[in-house]
Amino acid sequence: MSSIRPGSPAAYWLALPATLWMMAAVVVPVGMIVWVSFWGGRAFSPDSPLSLDNYQRFFANRTYLALVLETLRHTATMMLICGVLGYCIAYFLVVKVRSPGWRTVLFLAFVIPFWTSALIRAIAWVPFLGVNGVINQALLATGLAEKPVEVFLYSRTGISMAQVSLYTLMASGPVVYMLAQIPPALLEAAMTLKAEPVTVFRRVIFPLTLPGVVIGQVLVFLNVMADFATVQTIGGNKIALLPNLVINFYEGAQIRAAAVVAVLLMLCMLAGVAAALRVVDVRRLGAT
Amino acid sequence: MDGTAYAPGRARAARRPLLDHRARSRLTAWVLGTLTVGFLLYQWLPILTLSLLSFSGPTGGTTFPMNGVSLHWYRELWDASIMNDFKPPLGRSFVLAIACAVTTCLLSVASAQAMRGRFRGQGLFFYLILLGIMAPGLLVGFGFALVCRILGIETAWNTTAFLVHVSWTLPFGFLTMLAIFNRFDPKLEEAALTLGASRWTAFRRITLPIVLPGVIGSLLFGFSLSYDEFARSMFTTGADITLPLAVMAQLDRQLTPELFAIGAATTVTSLLAILACTFALWGLRRAQRR
Repeated sequence: MSSIRPGSPAAYWLALPATLWMMAAVVVPVGMIVWVSFWGGRAFSPDSPLSLDNYQRFFANRTYLALVLETLRHTATMMLICGVLGYCIAYFLVVKVRSPGWRTVLFLAFVIPFWTSALIRAIAWVPFLGVNGVINQALLATGLAEKPVEVFLYSRTGISMAQVSLYTLMASGPVVYMLAQIPPALLEAAMTLKAEPVTVFRRVIFPLTLPGVVIGQVLVFLNVMADFATVQTIGGNKIALLPNLVINFYEGAQIRAAAVVAVLLMLCMLAGVAAALRVVDVRRLGAT
Repeated sequence: MDGTAYAPGRARAARRPLLDHRARSRLTAWVLGTLTVGFLLYQWLPILTLSLLSFSGPTGGTTFPMNGVSLHWYRELWDASIMNDFKPPLGRSFVLAIACAVTTCLLSVASAQAMRGRFRGQGLFFYLILLGIMAPGLLVGFGFALVCRILGIETAWNTTAFLVHVSWTLPFGFLTMLAIFNRFDPKLEEAALTLGASRWTAFRRITLPIVLPGVIGSLLFGFSLSYDEFARSMFTTGADITLPLAVMAQLDRQLTPELFAIGAATTVTSLLAILACTFALWGLRRAQRR
């Protein structure tokens, strides 16, 4: 017995506003993109005949195809870096830091930037990366470089550097959650049975945190795939990835082309999430 | 787990490791610790540098040297021309964020309470709300702009942008409330109901005060995620833009320390919001302990 009776109509009424809201703001718009991407003809009207013309036009262009692969490669790199870094940090914070006070301080220092603007954090990288930027000044001052390195700003390196600082938390958070759930008795049991620490990690700890790793990877994947703002801020107009193409087409009033790119982006993401769900059953996470 | 392990003598003789367990465990701790602290520096340095540079002198540029210390760029920000006046966008962002915080809070409490009622289709309902986190802002914003165009709806920051922002902040508030309710002891409600309270009274007088930390958490998520949202706003805001859009527009025109000043100011605003919520939680815990 609780303040809501199981299966009561009240539950439906309470769930209704959020359902309608999410339908109107997420489901219908996303469906609309798919629909618009099939519109034939030239006019922007719901009466347009349905056709595959937009897709044919997109796939006929080699540059765009290369961009799809480029985006996937960039995303995979980010997943690897953020994943490894995020796991190490999570492991350190949960397992290695013994003092609760220090753990709280480090954890807050790690998490607080999530509540600040990602756009501002991306912009904050700009004075760092330029030819006269902080990194180059430091390199020159310490004598590590003879002349300014130009690879940082308006380059993929710079974008990656900023994105690592933005998204490592997302790879790390779910791992922290899973690590904290492991009962210490389990590790004691493994060690009583004379397992080496490396074996304990490989056979007990890592498999138990695998759901966290996968969810973290999904979050990094989704965010990097769709992150046009960082690319635009640091890459200027020199570098574009798939999400930037959506913006470019949209601003160039090529709505249907933008819809095609958006659908492709969506398909990549769905494939990624589906692959992750095969490894981990997300519903079981809340139960543990 | 470390240190308490003991290697059997025979295994040690067979394959003697370079360092014993204790030393290796400490070495791992040091390596991981260095990595963590290194990353924290990496994460914080740009934002600290940006804040520092925002205080540079009138002739200071967007990098070091600062050419003196002044509030010049903040003053520039304050008496800006109409072209790059950040005050109206700031006001809109703030009002929008407050509205999103309140709506997120109400909807997530209602949705989480509904989930406790175990209704048919609640699995689908859970995924529907989670979709708000999964679907990227680019797709949601673009799709919503298409819907508006087809239906002939004018986009504005206080109508369409509000609707879309809440679809982004709601899942975070919802998950927070679910997590709080997971640790909630229903026996307390049962006691109230046994003593003759109506379900609504039991919820208001017993349930709500206990889950108040989650309510505050959902408010914080609603405020900060909406306040900083860029991608969704870009497509759904219309002519009167919000702060992140104004920042991006200024960045497209020219990068000046003025932009650093606005960056430092918004970061401080976000930090104040976190601080306010932390204090509220702290006060709450103290009041409950009494």
